[in-house]
This record gives sequence, structure tokens and C-alpha cells, in this order.
Amino acid sequence: MTQRHILKTGLAAMAFAAGLPIAAQAEEPFIIGAAIAQSGAIAPYDEGPAKAMEIAIEEINAKGGLLGRPLKIIYSDTKSDIAYGATAAQNVIDQGAGMVVVTCDYDYGGAAASVADGANLIAFSTCAGDPKFGPSGIGPNAFTMSTGSPGQAVALAEWAYNKQGWKTAYILLDTTIAFDASYADAFERRWTELAGADGLLGKDTFGGEDPQIASQITRIKGLAKQPDVIALASFPPGGSSAMRQLRAAGVNQPLLLSESWDGDYWLEAVPNLSDAYLVTYGSVFGNDPRPEVVTFMDKFKAKYDAMPVTSHALTGYSVIQGWSKAVEKAGTFDTDKVRETLETFVDEPLITGPTTFTKETHINMQRDLVLMEVKDGKPGNIVGVVRAEQMPK
Amino acid sequence: MEFLQNAIDAISLGAVYALAALGIGLIFSIMRLINFAHGELIMAGGFTLYTLAGQPLLVLILAALIVTAILALGMERIAFRPLRKANPATLLIASFAVSYLVQHTVLLLYGSRAMGVPFLADLSTSLEFGGLRVPRLQLVTIGVTLLLMGGLFAFFRYSRTGLQMRAAAEDFNMARLVGVRANRVIAFAFAISGGLACMVSFYLVAQTGSVSYKMGVSMVLIAFVSSVVGGMGSIVGAALGGFLVGIISVSLQAYLPVDLRPYRDAFVFLIFILFLFWKPEGLMKTRADRERV
Repeated sequence: MTQRHILKTGLAAMAFAAGLPIAAQAEEPFIIGAAIAQSGAIAPYDEGPAKAMEIAIEEINAKGGLLGRPLKIIYSDTKSDIAYGATAAQNVIDQGAGMVVVTCDYDYGGAAASVADGANLIAFSTCAGDPKFGPSGIGPNAFTMSTGSPGQAVALAEWAYNKQGWKTAYILLDTTIAFDASYADAFERRWTELAGADGLLGKDTFGGEDPQIASQITRIKGLAKQPDVIALASFPPGGSSAMRQLRAAGVNQPLLLSESWDGDYWLEAVPNLSDAYLVTYGSVFGNDPRPEVVTFMDKFKAKYDAMPVTSHALTGYSVIQGWSKAVEKAGTFDTDKVRETLETFVDEPLITGPTTFTKETHINMQRDLVLMEVKDGKPGNIVGVVRAEQMPK
Repeated sequence: MEFLQNAIDAISLGAVYALAALGIGLIFSIMRLINFAHGELIMAGGFTLYTLAGQPLLVLILAALIVTAILALGMERIAFRPLRKANPATLLIASFAVSYLVQHTVLLLYGSRAMGVPFLADLSTSLEFGGLRVPRLQLVTIGVTLLLMGGLFAFFRYSRTGLQMRAAAEDFNMARLVGVRANRVIAFAFAISGGLACMVSFYLVAQTGSVSYKMGVSMVLIAFVSSVVGGMGSIVGAALGGFLVGIISVSLQAYLPVDLRPYRDAFVFLIFILFLFWKPEGLMKTRADRERV
């Protein structure tokens, strides 16, 4: 008996002893390759969605898998390095991944998505919010589960004007990342459609790393007429620093904020903050108006002993949910068929909201978002569910 | 009125930049090291405040001062002392390495998400003087900066260690020949630079209410530019340079048209490049930089 033969027999015996059905060999697991940041600067943004993917995969496997095959997720760490993303994607593909999930950002996930797209595999980003994520910026097989930043800005502009009756606005833009530039741009265009050019009292920029925004505050205070509302296109910590200074200087107007403000880790920076309104995927405070989101949050808490830090976790769950629905409908794992099925989604009910993909657009703009207020320093006060009605021309 | 308000804004930003530039300038003047890890001293101060949040103010301040001073001394002892005879480029690279190491250690321990810190929130409110708005924090910062500059000046002028430092700054080898104890002088300078960095941490955390592992990076760049503008090696020059950079930066923010404002920093640096063409030695020429025959 050769050594290898002994090993084989041994393994078979072990498998038998462990009660593994030998026949399962015919149904090899389908491998989902996650080329995401597990270390470095972007890691916290990928952590929640990745944990949520594991929940979605467990659920599918508990029901007997997808097309009879169990799903298995493998990881390769991009180390938060833009260029290394390509290597990480190649790494999971070499290990047999039949579909690749990439980082929650166009810049950090783009390289990995390109590699997967080039290998003719579906490349799904959890929450990259740049409208270029898809056929125009990466390739036909690239999708993102996010609600794009223009959609968030438009939903807020419409809510502020139509529901709140605020007639004049001011835009304060942090020039650090492209996400905020497109947020501010969409807000400006939709707001001037609604309120007219006179409804926009001005706009200004700041750098997120600037230690202070005194001259920006001086300019707002110097306006002939104070705005009803301020769209603050930024993110913590630069944005929370700006917010702290605005409030300290007595600029107490309501603030309109994007998904970047999800969670409560930044709140200490702005003592007793009120009138800050943000849209995001869902509430991580257990009070989302949509029961399926609450159920998900409970499952997350049960498995990981804590709520996700931000509701971006929902996008991870939805990636698996949406992709597996497409696989089921197509009846095959074949990339071309799955892509074509994904492109037929019209308001497909996923946990991140009704999801639509077309041949040209692999990102959602007009999708349900939960609108929450920070009041007296307390986050997560639900205002309602909003959705962009009309994207600006 | 708006001009006066802008002037106040400019001076208060200048005061912070001056504080940061003093720390960089001090170390450069003595050992020709541009310490890019100075930003990590600032960050370490901030994370001490975050870690001990909730403790009495005095405990927070003392703890942060001790942590930054020890970290500064540690950098000197472990990374820079063995390289003291190396050329300035080697020292510069070493400071990048130290900076990278400290940043990534904090990244490992605390993660990359910026976190809110309650610290001196009362100071962020403003005083109004006939329509002019002066944030209390800025007032305190300007006061502290002037006090520290005065203190450093007196220290250099009247104390024995200060005199030795000035001697070392002017001609390090000569100073050693006449009996200045190099290790002691340099260690002392690092401890002071740690303290200065900690003052910047206090300002940044009080101003922004947050800490992140990158919080020192942009500050140290500005401080470096300030000390070059002020005249490398001159401590007074570094402080003046800091004020100048702050004033120009705020003026551009206030008076550039809105479409050009996103490129403010490009204009700031352009102005200083032109300035250095005109005055390559910076505002203050130091005796040590004169070519010797």
C-alpha cells in the first residue's frame, strides 16, 4: 500500500466517520471570492458587509444551497491598497471563485472588479457609491448594491423642499472625495429645479483636513439672508469637525447629510447636536420602519453580539440576496446569463430596498432610504422612508 | 468688519501652525532632522485623550504630555541617535519610517475609523465683540502660542541648557568640542518638541472633536512648509512662518472666487514657491546656514 493510498483511505474513513455524505462530491460548493479590505484604512467599511454576506450564505445553505450547490466564501485581503486589489481578486479567482465581491468604494474596489470582470466573472461591490461603478467605469459584469450619492442628495432636497417647506439652501462641500462632489452637484441641480436659482443662497468648499473652517463660517454669517437649510457634503472626521464649529458659531440650521454619517461613532464630536438629517440604508438602532431590516439587525446581533456599526452591512446581505435570486431565475451560474437576469431587475425587493438594474446602469439612484434625525445628541430618530422622485436633468 | 473677522480667523489659524512649526523647527535647528514623525506625536496626544476620555481634565492633560514626551524621547533614542552621524537624507527617511510605524501601530490597535472625543467642548463657543466673533478656543490658542514662544525665547536666552542648545544649533561639532553634552541637549530638545506637539493635539481635538490615525499628517506638512518659509534652522523663523502660512491660507479661502476655492492649497504652495525663489533662505537667515570657507 502506498503512502498516498493510505492517506486516501484514511480520509475517506474520516469523512465517513464524520457523517459527511460521500455523494456530496458531486455537488461541490460554489465559491464566492471576497477581495476586500480585511486590514488597513478601509477595513472597517468592508467588515459589516462581509459579516452580513456570511449571514446570507448561511441562510441559503440551510435551505439546501443554490441550484443544489452549497455556497462557500473565501477571502483575500486587499490590505486597503488600491493596486493590491487586483492581486487579491486574482488570488480568489485562482482558488476557484465563480463570483467576486469587492470593496465598498469605487477607487479601492475598482481594480479588483476590473480583474474579475476581465475573467468574465460577476464583480459585485457592496456599497461603492460612484455612478461610474458598472459598465461605464469598469466593465459589463460590474455591479454595485449601493444607492448612488446623487440619489441620496435628490431624496433629501425633495423632502426638504416639499415636506419641510424649506425654501432657501446653502451648500458646504468637502473637497476630499468624489462621492461628496457628486452629492453636492446633484443637490444643487435638484434644489434649483425645485426652489429656483434664488433658492440657493450660495455654496462654499473646505478641505476635510483643514483644522478650522472659520472663513467659511464668516461667509455664511455674512449672507444678507440666512438659509433655511444647509447641505453639508462631507464625512467624519473632517465633516464632524466642521459641524462642531458651525454649531459653536451659532449656525443652527438643519443639516442635510448623506449615508457617510450612518452610525454614532462620530457623535461625541458635536455635543448635543440637533437638526441633523441623514439618509442611509437602514437604522442600526433597532427601530427601522421596515420589519425585514429589523429582522436582519436582530440576526446580526445574535450572530456577532453587536449591531453593525453602520447599516452598510445591509448591502453585503443584498449582494448575496440579489445575485442568488438572479442565479435561481437564470437556472445557472453562467456569468452571461446571470448578468442578463440581473439587468432585468425592476424594483426587485431586496433588503437594501427595491432594486433596479438595466443594461447601462448597474447602480441604483431612486431607491428607498431611511431618513433619520440626530436630536439632542441622540442618533436614530426615524423621520420616515424617502426616495428620489425625479433625478435632475 | 468682514475684513477684521477674516483677520481674526487668520491669526488664530496662524497660531496653531506656528505651534506645530516650532516643534519641527526646534529639532531641525539642532540636528538637521526634518522630523516627519512629529505628526505622530500630535496623533499620540490625541489618542491619549481618546483612551482616557472621562478622566478629570488635569489628568488628561498631564497624561497626554507624558505620553508625547516619552514617545519623542523614544524616537530619539531608538531611531535617530544611532543615525546621528548619517546625512540628513538618511535621517529624513528614518523619520518617515518612524511615522509609518507609529501610524500603523495605532491603526492596528484602534482601527481606521475616526472617533469622536469629548474634550474641552465648552471652549468651542464664541465670544462676540460688537459683531466680531472670536471662538474661545482660538483666544486660548493664541495666548498659549505667545506664552510658549516667550517661554522658549527666555529658555534659549537665559538658561544654561538653552544656551547649549543654541550653541549646538549653530555648530554642533564645535559645541561638543567645548563640552556641550550632545545626548542631553538633543534629548531635551525632543522632549520639548513632544510637549509642543501635545499642545497641537489639544487644539486639534478641542477643535475637531475627533481623533484618527492620520490626524497629524496634514499638520506636519503645513508645519514643514512653515519652517521652510521661516528659514530652516531658525526657531523664531519657524513660528513666523507658521503665522504667515495661516494668514495666507485663510485670506485665500476668504477672497478666492468659489470655483477656485477647492484649489486653495495649490495657490498657497504656489505663493510660497515664488517666495522661496525670491528669498531661498526664508524669512530668517540663520548663522549656521552661512557657507563656511
